[in-house]
Amino acid sequence: MFNHFWTWKNPLYWLPTGFVLSHYFYNVNVISGRSMQPTLNPDTSSSRDVAIFHRHALFTRDAYQRDDIITLRSPEDPRRTLIKRIIALEGDVVRTLPPYPARDVRVPIGHIWVEGDEPFYSDDSNIFGPVPMALVESKLVCIIWPLHRFGRVSKAELPLSRNGPSFRRAMAQFDRERARESRVTKV
Amino acid sequence: MQSDYCSRRSLQVVNLACALHLFAEYVGRPSLMAGPSMLPTLADSGEIVVEDRLTYRLNPGSVARGDLITLRSPIDPSRIICKRVLGLPGDIICVDPTGEKAPSTEHVVIPKGHIWISGDNAAFSRDSRDYGPVSMALIQAKLLARVRKLFLLSYP
Repeated sequence: MFNHFWTWKNPLYWLPTGFVLSHYFYNVNVISGRSMQPTLNPDTSSSRDVAIFHRHALFTRDAYQRDDIITLRSPEDPRRTLIKRIIALEGDVVRTLPPYPARDVRVPIGHIWVEGDEPFYSDDSNIFGPVPMALVESKLVCIIWPLHRFGRVSKAELPLSRNGPSFRRAMAQFDRERARESRVTKV
Repeated sequence: MQSDYCSRRSLQVVNLACALHLFAEYVGRPSLMAGPSMLPTLADSGEIVVEDRLTYRLNPGSVARGDLITLRSPIDPSRIICKRVLGLPGDIICVDPTGEKAPSTEHVVIPKGHIWISGDNAAFSRDSRDYGPVSMALIQAKLLARVRKLFLLSYP
């Protein structure tokens, strides 16, 4: 019985390899919460987004870039995982949003400043301050569900028509990106 | 037929390596320590300790004051450091009683989900006195035991 179980013909036998591959390379996760609206889980979507995350990207050079969407362990509760956007890297000066006590902050060495796209619903660096890079777990690669938003999360592009909902959405995204960039003094 | 056997064997070796890696990552492993910050508890070179990763992973509340822990450095994500836990969330801590790195009257309240860490060798340790309370999510393991130096491993 025992010998029969632990043979290479049993799929369970290959579990360690599968686990290491998903842990260090790509894994698929369901995104919950509204802190990244409208980029992820927008109000128009009836189901939660499913996305592919890349973990190995963190071991390469230039792993952390501004505007990347990442997952990280919550600095306040080690059991929770958050999904946020990198706003500033170490050395940058950020103008903070209201709950934070100081108006401007220089991000310390080894830390990053993360925020959700929807500040009203987001517990982010404006609450708990800059977070250590070591807490970052993976990087968002692309959305796979719902199908009509399949693909990478890209920067705003101007649509061909100058009216209609898609044009207004693109302009709103432009505004958010510009507001985000204006609050960071890069080094 | 022969090549089929060989490729299956090599895949099995890879699988075994993955299993060993997962054991070291999630359950526990021996590791080599270096650096003077934990003198005289741990030697500054050639010290081998056993890390217990399972306890903290299953129960993050098991960290107590006085425990030796390993954690990822908050200022350099690629480094792992070993320190002693001085304060838990909610404690009030005197930043530096000796007054070297901060005035000895300065006290801080440790925020939720954070701990205060310190090296046993205060003169040669970069710890919470420099970078403040650290997040509990950075903790990797508790130290379970140190391996008595075998004569083969002891350096002159």
